[in-house]
Amino acid sequence: MHIPDGILPISVNAGGYAATAAVTWYSIRKIKQKENPREGIPKASLLTAAFFVVSWIHIPVPPTSVHLVLNGLLGALLGYYAFPAILIGLFFQAVMFGHGGLTTLGINAVIMGLPAILAYYIFRLRKLGSKESPKQDGAFDFLAGAVAVGVSVAIFVGILVTNLPADFISAAAERAAIYTMAIAHLPLLGIEGAITSLLVVFLRRVRPGILDGV
Amino acid sequence: MKLGLDEYINLDSPFHRWEARYKLIGLITLIFAFSFVRDLRMLLTMVGVTVAIYVISRLPASFMLRRLRFPSFFLLALVLTLPFLSGQTVVLSIGPLDVYREGLLTVVLIAIRFISILTIALVLFATTPLLTTIKAMRALGLPGIMADMALLALRYIQEIGQDLKKMQMSMRLRGFRKRRLSLHGLRTLAWLGGSILVHSYERSEWVYKAMILRGYGHAPHPRAEFQACRRDVVTLGIVLLIAAGFITGDILFGHGTSALLQ
Repeated sequence: MHIPDGILPISVNAGGYAATAAVTWYSIRKIKQKENPREGIPKASLLTAAFFVVSWIHIPVPPTSVHLVLNGLLGALLGYYAFPAILIGLFFQAVMFGHGGLTTLGINAVIMGLPAILAYYIFRLRKLGSKESPKQDGAFDFLAGAVAVGVSVAIFVGILVTNLPADFISAAAERAAIYTMAIAHLPLLGIEGAITSLLVVFLRRVRPGILDGV
Repeated sequence: MKLGLDEYINLDSPFHRWEARYKLIGLITLIFAFSFVRDLRMLLTMVGVTVAIYVISRLPASFMLRRLRFPSFFLLALVLTLPFLSGQTVVLSIGPLDVYREGLLTVVLIAIRFISILTIALVLFATTPLLTTIKAMRALGLPGIMADMALLALRYIQEIGQDLKKMQMSMRLRGFRKRRLSLHGLRTLAWLGGSILVHSYERSEWVYKAMILRGYGHAPHPRAEFQACRRDVVTLGIVLLIAAGFITGDILFGHGTSALLQ
């Protein structure tokens, strides 16, 4: 779900950078409002590195396999650190492995980062209930994971299909491309939701403090 | 896990010697100028400039080809679909499938821009240690929180990657096989991811204490670490002129897919 260099027009790349700069500025402002903003940096950094590594775990979906995205869980655990963390992770992916790109770094950060912030708010909805309910918590965890990936897929497909430098793609072909890509990603939504839910159960049992956020 | 980006960091070339801040500004500007180009004539010039820069950097061609392997899958998907979906002028018919001229030219445009940008990015990041590049970004105004997060994450990615490798090997030795999708398999993989997260979280607490003990937050501004000479400024000027030439040339030639199709 990373758009490489050379595909999007420069205006879209510039728009992506502008949006990313604005969200990063807002996130850093929120981080600086904390009592001790430096305290969260090592935790956010090591969790950024850990999420980067965990995304290498492949889930078998015969006849192929998919790798984890986990931007929903990242949003839930890191809160306002999530957007800078995703930006750093995407930068490393582009530089180290050539996944994504430098000109598209801003737009890719929007694709992965904005849904992570959305997941953070979905995850927090669990606290609205008056009493503890594992089933209700599990449902919100699943939603946070699945919705984050779902929104990422929607933004990714939307940007790609409307901005390919081909002025001659027919409307029918465009629709077919959108439907095919959306359907191909549907199993990923379920897997991401399930893994997020199972991971939160694990974290709650082993190290509940991690769920309080950074 | 080996990242392999710093394999040729000790070579001696004008790009290896170029001061990190000036190199960042120059090559990033060139990359953005490349992404602006849509004219076929300018694309050919872009190939020439890219090859020249790569040759001057003295990085081996095999290194470039190895780095191209992964990203090329996306390019392959476009090459296999766009010529059949995009366009009006049929140039070739293969059975029921028509190959369109406009789609073919669009693929050429994307492929050349993609490979050129990737090559310049490789010269940028493979001729300076990534650690120095991040410090140069900080010196150029990257917020301190972002720079600290990037430096710490970079420091621990390899270690956490090794942890994952060991855990996966232990799982295989105990008989875990990822063959099909099942709830049991998903739970096991989720717990593997969870273990990595918990271990990293606990490690971060010791790291924070160690950082405080070493005076974290009282370091001098990184700008003092970099010093540019006249050669760095001249090289930057040349690269910026080339970048401006691409933008001007593309505007003069018409800048658009229509220019590409002429």
